[in-house]
Amino acid sequence: MTKPNKLKFKEALIGWQFSGIYLIYAAIFWGYPFVWLLILAFSRWKFFGKPKPAGFDNFIRLFQDPIFWRIFWNTINFMVYFIPMVVLGSFLFALALSKIKYFRTFFTLSFLVANVSSGVAYSILFSNLFSETGPVNSFLYKVFGFTIPWFSDPQLALLSIAIIVTWKFIGYYGLILFAGIQAIPKSLYEAAELDGASKWIQFWKITVPLVNPALTTVLVFAINLTFGIFTEPYMITGGGPMRRTLTFLLHIYTTAFQRMNPSYAAALAIITGALSYGCVILVRKLVEREVNLI
Amino acid sequence: MRIGNRRKIKFGTIFLYIIMFVLSIIWIYPYLWLFLASVKPSEEIFTRFLPTRLTLEHYQFIFETATRMERPFIRALLNSIFIAFTITFSVVFTSAFIGYAISKLRYRGKNLVFNFIIFQMLFPGFMFIVPLFVLIRTLGLLNSYSAIILPSIISAWGVFMFAQSYKSIPQDYIEAAKIDGANTFWIILRLMLPLTRSTASIVGLFTFIGAWDNFMWPLIVMKDYQKMPLAVLLASFNHEYSSYVGPLMAGAVIQTIPMVLIFIAFRKYFLQGISMSSK
Repeated sequence: MTKPNKLKFKEALIGWQFSGIYLIYAAIFWGYPFVWLLILAFSRWKFFGKPKPAGFDNFIRLFQDPIFWRIFWNTINFMVYFIPMVVLGSFLFALALSKIKYFRTFFTLSFLVANVSSGVAYSILFSNLFSETGPVNSFLYKVFGFTIPWFSDPQLALLSIAIIVTWKFIGYYGLILFAGIQAIPKSLYEAAELDGASKWIQFWKITVPLVNPALTTVLVFAINLTFGIFTEPYMITGGGPMRRTLTFLLHIYTTAFQRMNPSYAAALAIITGALSYGCVILVRKLVEREVNLI
Repeated sequence: MRIGNRRKIKFGTIFLYIIMFVLSIIWIYPYLWLFLASVKPSEEIFTRFLPTRLTLEHYQFIFETATRMERPFIRALLNSIFIAFTITFSVVFTSAFIGYAISKLRYRGKNLVFNFIIFQMLFPGFMFIVPLFVLIRTLGLLNSYSAIILPSIISAWGVFMFAQSYKSIPQDYIEAAKIDGANTFWIILRLMLPLTRSTASIVGLFTFIGAWDNFMWPLIVMKDYQKMPLAVLLASFNHEYSSYVGPLMAGAVIQTIPMVLIFIAFRKYFLQGISMSSK
């Protein structure tokens, strides 16, 4: 069916109207900040007057800044705690869920409800729950005779934050993996069963390779989450003790809005974005495999 | 042999159920403790799990005394509701319209717009916080609701989600509606939206949760206690009066309850949204 030209023109007009609204909005709230981000990163500016061109000064200063490297290692350190913990935990959760017939909704909801906790509220909750006199420590003291300085010990604080973030995200990531496991055809397992493959071999030869897309998704989410952490350290530790829980976002915030140095913060934001992008690419290269069914 | 094997499996299954029950309780425990802490007398918060008597004094404190201390929590709750609903409503509708233009209409440059949206989604939002602040300041919008609402009323992700789900709707439906004399607005609101109800719910749900939970951005642009969303007011109250544990817990409960209620009401779509995320 060929359309008359007039109708075609009308359709294009409506299309351009809607796209136009989107593009104008994006130009104001995305394009304009994008350009400013680049201008700021390559200049010196304190919120007033005209930005003075500064070349790569901000970036050079950044790489010589010990605080930047502290944050860099904090982030690596956090990933070393968080990613194995959350991936293993959510994988076990997904496997358990796929073995279970009854109460599945109850288990799913009780793990998932942690995920809808608001950042500020759960930070307040956990800083009291794990405080010196909080219920977790008084339980430990009663049973084992010692307490753990969850958020005040420099090394432990980061681990404690990794633990509460894991609490929040295991249900969510677990369900992504569960959906991946459910999508594997049952006939593959039946065929393996007939060939005499043990459950263990079935797990490594069927489940693990075929759940790869879901696993990659979870890893990418976890990395993006790591680089975007702000609320927990802001609320609970304020970046301390000894800057061990300082994150990129927290530093961008304090640099721009408390030390009034937005151009330096813009350079930091670009580097942070580049690092998180680099990590995602790296994980995709290392983990992602083509999965072809049939 | 077979029977023995089956028994072993059964024992393993029961064991798995027990572990899952214990873990579920551990996962819910923080919520339970939070709620109980908000309704027990101050001296029992760190000493007893179950309260000897129930009290609403912390809620009374947060709603009445705190208001007199220039920390208006009722106002903040209403602010949060207003901001989150405005953003959600706007994102769902703009996404439904723009997504339609991108997936169902034929015009030159359409693919360019679509590719631009994908390109935008590559950049994490935190990169734009500093320059976006500059923009909002230049527009003179600091300390206004618009500062929080305007940067989020259209979402690239929302447009993308609608564009993808419209693709499965046959073009014939639209042609038939057009022959019946339907205009574009009618087609989108009465035909497309009802057919993609689950996408609309997923976009709405995740947008609402994101808006309700958004903390860093409102913290930066809102210094006026009267217009603060709940998350920011609660955070500032926590910094200034961290020894008022009871009222803080009551505030945390109030901040959490809407999210939990919405999650329980829309859990079906929440689960759908999750299983879609790896495709």
